[in-house]
Order: sequence, then C-alpha cells, then structure tokens
Amino acid sequence: MRGLRLLGLAGLLVFAAAAFTPLANCLNAWMAGVASLEPSDAIVVLGRGGADSDGILTNRSLRRVLRGVDLYRDGLASLLVLSGSADETRSRASLARGLGVPAAAILSAAPARTTGEEAEAVRRLLVPLGHRSILLVADPIDMPRGRALMERAGFTVRPAPTAASGPSQPEARLSLLKDILMELAAWAYYRLTGAL
Amino acid sequence: MASLTVVAIVMLTSAGAFVVASRGAGLRRAALPGAFMQALDCLGLAVLFLLGNLGLGLVLVLGLRVMTGRFISLYILNDATLPFLSLLQALVVHCWRARSK
Repeated sequence: MRGLRLLGLAGLLVFAAAAFTPLANCLNAWMAGVASLEPSDAIVVLGRGGADSDGILTNRSLRRVLRGVDLYRDGLASLLVLSGSADETRSRASLARGLGVPAAAILSAAPARTTGEEAEAVRRLLVPLGHRSILLVADPIDMPRGRALMERAGFTVRPAPTAASGPSQPEARLSLLKDILMELAAWAYYRLTGAL
Repeated sequence: MASLTVVAIVMLTSAGAFVVASRGAGLRRAALPGAFMQALDCLGLAVLFLLGNLGLGLVLVLGLRVMTGRFISLYILNDATLPFLSLLQALVVHCWRARSK
C-alpha cells in the first residue's frame, strides 16, 4: 500500500511538472540542438504521422514541409526531398508545388514506415546523385534520432528543426512530454536492435 | 498564464467543494487527509495499470510484427485514451476493494 501511495504521489508530481511548468519545453529545446542553416546539397523533410485518405497532412507533417519550403525559398539547397508514407509524400509534394517550389526541385523518397527506413530511402535516392550534405527538417524531439540515422547513412547533417520553443497550454505540454517519452523509447529500441 | 488560470479555477472549485461538503453534506474535516491518501493509492494503481498497458502493448506489437511479418507502428500506443482508460481501471479496482472490506 505504501508503495502504491508513493507511486501515486510520483505520478501526481510528474503530471504537475509536465502540465504546469516549462519542463517539456526545456526538453524539447534541448533535443532540438542548435540549428545549422548553411547551404547544402538537399533539404530532407522527414515524415511524421502521414496523411488522411483525403490527403490532409497531420499538423506536424504540415509544419515540417512548410519549414522545408521556407528553407528552399531561402536558397539553402536546390533540392527538396520529401520522405514518409506514399500518401504523405504525395500530399507534401502537391503542397510544395502549390507554394511555388518547381516540380523538378522536388524529390520523393520511396515510401517508408520508420525513421530507419526513411534514412535508407533517402540514401538510395541522394547518394547516387552525389549529394552528401543535407539540411534535415524534423521536429525538435525527433532530431537526435533522425540526425544519427542520417549520419549513419553517410550524410553530413545540418539540423533545421521546426519551432523549438514548444507549447504553453497545459494539455499541449502533456502531449509533448508524452511524445518525448515515446521518442526516448524509440531511441532505446533503435539502440537495442543495433540500428543506432 | 493559461496554466495558472486552470490551476486557479480548480483551487476555487476545490475550496467551494470543501465548504459545501463540510457544512452542507456533513462530511468530517478530519477525514480529508485520509481521503487524499486514498486518492494517491488510486492514482498509484492507475500508474501501475498504465505501465502494464504500455508493456503489454509493446509486447503485442513487437510480437505481431515477428509472427505476422506485417509492420505495426508502436505509435498506436501513443494515444491519449490510454491514461484515461488506465485511470478507469484503477477506479474500478479501488472501489471494488473498498466494497470488499
């Protein structure tokens, strides 16, 4: 009973810290690292969450592709590489074209279900073209694993995370902490299976 | 600011509930610390259920991947309903235990 009570107290404290303090925001910013926005061979936008059957992208997927388009417009690379599921890359390519990125500058990587598969798909797409340096667009919390996988695939990676400040609403902070824990579990899984 | 507003609202309704319960409903004030401890027990049980649900989910997803060869994303476990359902499980067990005494 005492153990249960302590566990309950711990749960309550974690909940309070996650929802009502900037803990999740600090972790988010820490995982984002320092952005390195320098000219590169390509801008690689990792997938996140896919798209619905009507082609509507998830919030995070949308944020990422907008960030990628923004970097392209700034002239930091001549190629915009979109990865993720088939639906997601299709929707993203359509959006990027609508935002003025020439079709010839958009490359869609082969459909992938995990970040590891995305790294492999991007390697197969870019390395034969001689492109080795990339600006990597991902959410701050996904950047450490995404970066490590891309570097393992042979790329020089320059991180270009989406906004790293994080949300201010309690519910959104809770959600962010949940995603951070999920990402840390994914990191541990990749380490255990030798993918990292 | 938004988070402080939520906390302030909850504190106000808690104070209101304390007044109504102790004066209107005749609940003993001395029993409040014990009630808080029981709530912590229930919360601890919810954390246990959550960890159990996540652990079982992980084993199921990875097991199905191996057995069927089909890809099932671990992100299906990243769902807001899981903590809520875990709390519901804990509440039922907590009430069951109380009624069994």
